[in-house]
Amino acid sequence: MTVPEVETGVSPASGWAHCQVGNFDLNTEWHVEPGQVLVLFGPSGAGKSSTLRTIAGLLRPLEGHIEAGGRVVYDSAGGIWVPTHQRRLGYLTQQYHLFPHLKVGGNIAFGLQDRGSETARDRVRELSQLFRLDGLEDRYPWEISGGQQQRVALARALAPRPAMLLLDEPFASLDSELRRALREELRAMLVQSPVPVMLVTHDREEALALGDSVQVIDEGRILSTGDPLDVLGQPGQGRIARLVGVENLFDLTIQERNPRDGTMTCVGPGIRLEVPLDSHITGETEPKGVQDRVTVGIRASDIILARDELSGSSARNRLEGSVVSIEPRPPGYSVILDCGQHLRCHITGASLEEMGIQTGQRLWAVFKASSCFLVDEPRSRSAS
Amino acid sequence: MTARVLAYPAGVLGSGGAVLYVLFIGLPVVALLVRAAQQTDFIGAVTGDVALTALRLSLITSIISMAVIVLLGTPFAYLLARSGSAWTRVVDNLVELPLVLPPVVAGVAMLMAFGRNGLIGPGLEGLGIAIPFTTTAVIFAQVFVASPFFIRSAKLGFQSIPKDYEDVARTLGVSPWRTFFRITLPLAGPALVTGLGLAWARALSEFGATMMFAGNLTGETQTMPLAIMTAMESSLDNALALSVMLLTGSILVLAALGLLTRRKWQGR
Repeated sequence: MTVPEVETGVSPASGWAHCQVGNFDLNTEWHVEPGQVLVLFGPSGAGKSSTLRTIAGLLRPLEGHIEAGGRVVYDSAGGIWVPTHQRRLGYLTQQYHLFPHLKVGGNIAFGLQDRGSETARDRVRELSQLFRLDGLEDRYPWEISGGQQQRVALARALAPRPAMLLLDEPFASLDSELRRALREELRAMLVQSPVPVMLVTHDREEALALGDSVQVIDEGRILSTGDPLDVLGQPGQGRIARLVGVENLFDLTIQERNPRDGTMTCVGPGIRLEVPLDSHITGETEPKGVQDRVTVGIRASDIILARDELSGSSARNRLEGSVVSIEPRPPGYSVILDCGQHLRCHITGASLEEMGIQTGQRLWAVFKASSCFLVDEPRSRSAS
Repeated sequence: MTARVLAYPAGVLGSGGAVLYVLFIGLPVVALLVRAAQQTDFIGAVTGDVALTALRLSLITSIISMAVIVLLGTPFAYLLARSGSAWTRVVDNLVELPLVLPPVVAGVAMLMAFGRNGLIGPGLEGLGIAIPFTTTAVIFAQVFVASPFFIRSAKLGFQSIPKDYEDVARTLGVSPWRTFFRITLPLAGPALVTGLGLAWARALSEFGATMMFAGNLTGETQTMPLAIMTAMESSLDNALALSVMLLTGSILVLAALGLLTRRKWQGR
């Protein structure tokens, strides 16, 4: 079977697949433009890695259709199956899997045709420079640092000019500073050779920093796809909210709707909040009060802590409580305030020092009504 | 280190055991060498007809056995390492059988299969193929008893290589065949060499199954261990010469294993 020459990166990657993975079903679909990053976000075991392995041809779906590099590499209806080594998709694993018996140069050159040739050597040199690996070609993988190993793995994946990049938690085993640096390098690399990229992570920050779009996956299903800020910033469904780590979720009863302000007042045990009106959930302009229970989410970083009640401020929510605990959460701190219910707030180390926050201290938590968002969680509502 | 080990009762017992063990293994070896050196015509015996004929036969048969074992055993071991099916588990247990089966029984069993009155012996004879009491039978016996050493070691070697290496190699555009030769085989190399060394040593020392199935014909089926047995009845010179040669061979295998399995790379 002859394989048509693949033009790097000019074609989008797209497809859908239905797979049996272990004891669950994976139903997924994707579309990524060249030079764009689609982040697959979700807990471990959700089916993120399996999606990448399916695209790479390492996992055979029950049915589906996969396109990459401008051609169909799998189609269950048409009986098309292009084996992994002919798909030309760069695949990066979390542990890199650098070949331990080959030096750095040999690893980068591994996928090149005619490895002894001048063209191949040029390609290795070019990639070594791009990823700041010059001078390390004769070292073995265990002789270089974790960040360098990561770059070698990326260089090796890119050397044969893949039609697409599949990155499975590529930065997971690095410290946060190195991650940030490598993210920037990856971005720079994408400008140079714009291939479609699919990246698996369960790190919110990484998803926001790298994703042009985000897809939340759980238990083999896509829960939502869209702009990273929309999906991860104010996630709608409760399941997603928990997955993407919204720190504060409250089950409340609607007490009063104020359509004029676009807000409503909700109460729960020891807590009273002004939140946006629920019409976008019910789809009715005049809610009939059938639905009187909601789950409200507030991101810990959207909350301002103050020593006294910020009277005369525009913020609709001002809760007083005592500090239950202070936990380091690099680069800042996470403070838990007991305002009837526990409220988690993220602040910087500087604020913690300036305010001299200590456990037991009484503080005010201040946040806008629009910082609260309604979490659509049908299950909890029908249960209550 | 030693002082710390000796602080424990088990350490004291262990050290005593170690001394006894070294004496137990070392004394006969030294005795063999001393007695051989005392022989009037040791060199003559080593270069004599009996010794050289047996040596040549042992080398030729064991090399052919090793070729058969490596060529068939390597892909087989790979399959055992990578496949999780119930069938491979059954076969996996079967591989261990020759390890625990007395070689003499293996010889009798092979006679019952390939012998003149065996299960398929008459059929083979009809085709003009006779196996028992030929050089081929020597190779059969060696493959039977020695193959598990190689297959087991190779299987463990393949199992220790995460499949991800092969997956990554394939995503880099390298076919499964080439991946096997460029990734799997080099990474499993030390385990394969170890297995080969153990299997070779076992094949060279094979006695019982050969005696039963191949007989003791000089130049045809009389390998070194059989020649030693025969020589013990007539010429201690020859027996000692052959013994020292086999001992040297064993030590060389050990040394070669140590050298060949030293990797220049580490870790995974």
